[in-house]
Amino acid sequence: MNVKLNAQPTQTVALRGKEEGLEAKIAVGFCLFAAAIVGTYSGILFGENGLETVVAHHYDFWICVILGLVGWMVRSAGGHKGVIITITVLASFVVLTLHQEQLIRYLVLAALLFSIGIYGMCKSRNAVRVLMSIELMLNAVNINLITFARYVDPMHIKGQLFSIFVLTVAAAEAAVGLAIVLSLYRNTSTVDMERFNLLKW
Amino acid sequence: MEQQDTLAGLLALPCVESWLFYILSTLAICLAIGVIADRAIIRAGFLLIGVFGSISAIFLLLQAQFLALAQVMIYAVGITLVVVIALMLTNPRLEVEAPSIPYDDKAPPLMKFVNSIRRNIVLWVSVFSFVTIYAALSGETHWPLSSEPMPTDCVKTLGEALTTTYSIPFEFASVLLLAALMGAIMLAKNERKGEGADNLTIAEEAKNADSNLALQR
Repeated sequence: MNVKLNAQPTQTVALRGKEEGLEAKIAVGFCLFAAAIVGTYSGILFGENGLETVVAHHYDFWICVILGLVGWMVRSAGGHKGVIITITVLASFVVLTLHQEQLIRYLVLAALLFSIGIYGMCKSRNAVRVLMSIELMLNAVNINLITFARYVDPMHIKGQLFSIFVLTVAAAEAAVGLAIVLSLYRNTSTVDMERFNLLKW
Repeated sequence: MEQQDTLAGLLALPCVESWLFYILSTLAICLAIGVIADRAIIRAGFLLIGVFGSISAIFLLLQAQFLALAQVMIYAVGITLVVVIALMLTNPRLEVEAPSIPYDDKAPPLMKFVNSIRRNIVLWVSVFSFVTIYAALSGETHWPLSSEPMPTDCVKTLGEALTTTYSIPFEFASVLLLAALMGAIMLAKNERKGEGADNLTIAEEAKNADSNLALQR
């Protein structure tokens, strides 16, 4: 089989089946990798203190991108999806935080949990899981507030105060949200987000 | 008391704190991915307890003892219990994995690439949000860090602030909780309406029974 990374649309007519999808994925992955290399190189060439900026300050980004691409390829070759995604996220997290100071580590952890919450909130179709993702995001915000209370304002710990209020609002939101889900379930006998189209026009 | 002092001293070592931080954050991240990705939603509900527990341990690392315990009580026990009960009441079904943009094998590679991006747009949005926050965090070099030690009696400081400076938000929080609980009870209360409403509900259930994957098996 003719393996070309820059497969043209006219040539792919002959290639059918699963191999073609794999080929296209690897090709796209290679394109992204090349874009990363080109970005790094152009940063070196054109940027102000280019080498320093891109390589010394953002090399961790490129390591994470490479990690993601290798994970994608392993997935295409037939690895377990959940394990690959979890390991990729964890390794990226360690790479991004290991050289930082303590404050940034906690903030990055909160940002990661917040992003996971965004993903779950938009992607999942079960209304209860959406509520769980929202709780996750509120918790990430709490981590942020308490980190600032610990490292920036340790005398008055205002961050902890505000996280108490966040906790209160989260409890109220969970109670009302779950009651709404229950009442929706009673009326439509489903908790699928795609089928709640009562207010759709 | 002496034991607490040794614990605080141990935590003050940067090495110990880093190790504990990485262990706890690994737990939290893995369980959070499990919460949003596990196919059995009831298991996701129980994994949520683990996420909240590890986050409360992170609060302990940050020397917020009161909030760690409040987190365990409110989130890990209260909210998760309510979530699990709601899951049991709503008869969780298998989520149907039907992408809105079907996988077309014959499309040209560029179109396939565009389609895969459109399918995974949520993933890219969340990755983009994380990258943006991370770039902002690591680009900032002048954090107003304070080297003062934490007060030994955090709870006292919190209580004084809550009852003096922040007493009005505190009172409003209680009103909010009362209103939310009343609203939740009103919404979740099972009202018996006339016969027409009952017939409608039964008809709806019969209509939706076809789409219930759990029943079909």
